[in-house]
Amino acid sequence: MAISHRRSLANRCNALKSTGPRSVSGKSASSQNSRKHGLNSAPDFESSIEYQKLVDLIAEEGLSAFVCADIAAGLLNYRRVMDAYYDTYTNPEPVNEFMRDMSVKGSMPIFREMLSESGSEPDDVRDMAAFFAGMQRQERRKGGPVSRRTTDTHKLIRYQRNGIARLSRAVRQD
Amino acid sequence: MLYNIHFCAYVDVAMPVEDKSKSLLPFLSSPKLLPNESEAEFQSGLQSLLSELDNPSPLAVALVSQLNESLWWIRRHTVDKELLLHEAMARLLSKAGSYSETYDNRKVSEALERYLDGRADKDEAEWIDEILAESKLTLSDLRVRAFKDAARHIKMVDDLIHRQHQTMRHLQRSIDSIDYKSRLIKRMDLELAALESKQSVKGVLSLGDKPS
Repeated sequence: MAISHRRSLANRCNALKSTGPRSVSGKSASSQNSRKHGLNSAPDFESSIEYQKLVDLIAEEGLSAFVCADIAAGLLNYRRVMDAYYDTYTNPEPVNEFMRDMSVKGSMPIFREMLSESGSEPDDVRDMAAFFAGMQRQERRKGGPVSRRTTDTHKLIRYQRNGIARLSRAVRQD
Repeated sequence: MLYNIHFCAYVDVAMPVEDKSKSLLPFLSSPKLLPNESEAEFQSGLQSLLSELDNPSPLAVALVSQLNESLWWIRRHTVDKELLLHEAMARLLSKAGSYSETYDNRKVSEALERYLDGRADKDEAEWIDEILAESKLTLSDLRVRAFKDAARHIKMVDDLIHRQHQTMRHLQRSIDSIDYKSRLIKRMDLELAALESKQSVKGVLSLGDKPS
């Protein structure tokens, strides 16, 4: 069921009063809010079954055990980066259509009505309108889904560069 | 989550190239395709690259799979460049004329997409023409303006394509390197075998030369 414009605005205004999660599980969940792709964490390839199988497979090339281990880690690391790249590309930050399309000017009477219940000053209404206008500008600047996924995947270029360089170094070492 | 790789059976060196790639695919290049992409096309590209390998060892096949993926990403990003332009065109149109009040970007965007593909019905085409006339723009003017607006994102896509080219260069060098290494190892094995056989012949001759 679609909620009304007034209800959506009221929800957003109430959310501004929130002081964050209180329960342990809530805090633990919100601690992961800023997690984007996980590529900054150090991976532990050596203890995985896949790693050992890959080392055995590469050993067929007649390379030393040390080189095989390096190539296997490089290959798994590169796959990790490319999987994150795919996930980022396919799941860009969603467009907040409500925020993008709302008319801040047209919402002024609703702000006034909502704030009058708590005995606020006219300045508070203007502040709230300015706040929403700022959020709207930010939302519009991000563009549509294609612009968003381009911006997000562009941030992974350095991980890709490092990943392929590591793999290439491992394969080409003497 | 990201590190979801499945390994398959041992790959026999004497296996045909097609079978080799199939047995390696699940673990290194389980193709992650978008809903509108054809897996058959992806596989045929991979097979044509694999058929060019002189020595299709497991590592070479794995690297070629990554190379094919890079080619696939270049294709996706090239399509994105056009989509970025369409997105910017829709944004400009939705701001034009009487539409500045409602800013119904999605409706304009969908209609424009169909209009540019030639799939728009008569009403939709008329509506787009009307908005263009209202904003005193032709389609090519709109495209030029949109290009200016989307320049920052188009530059980003160019960077992404450039990165894929660099990745391909790295992979190509790696494939060349393992090909050279395996040839070197084979050559050394042959030379060693030749030396051993020479030694054994010498040994037989020297034993035969001994006076009884």
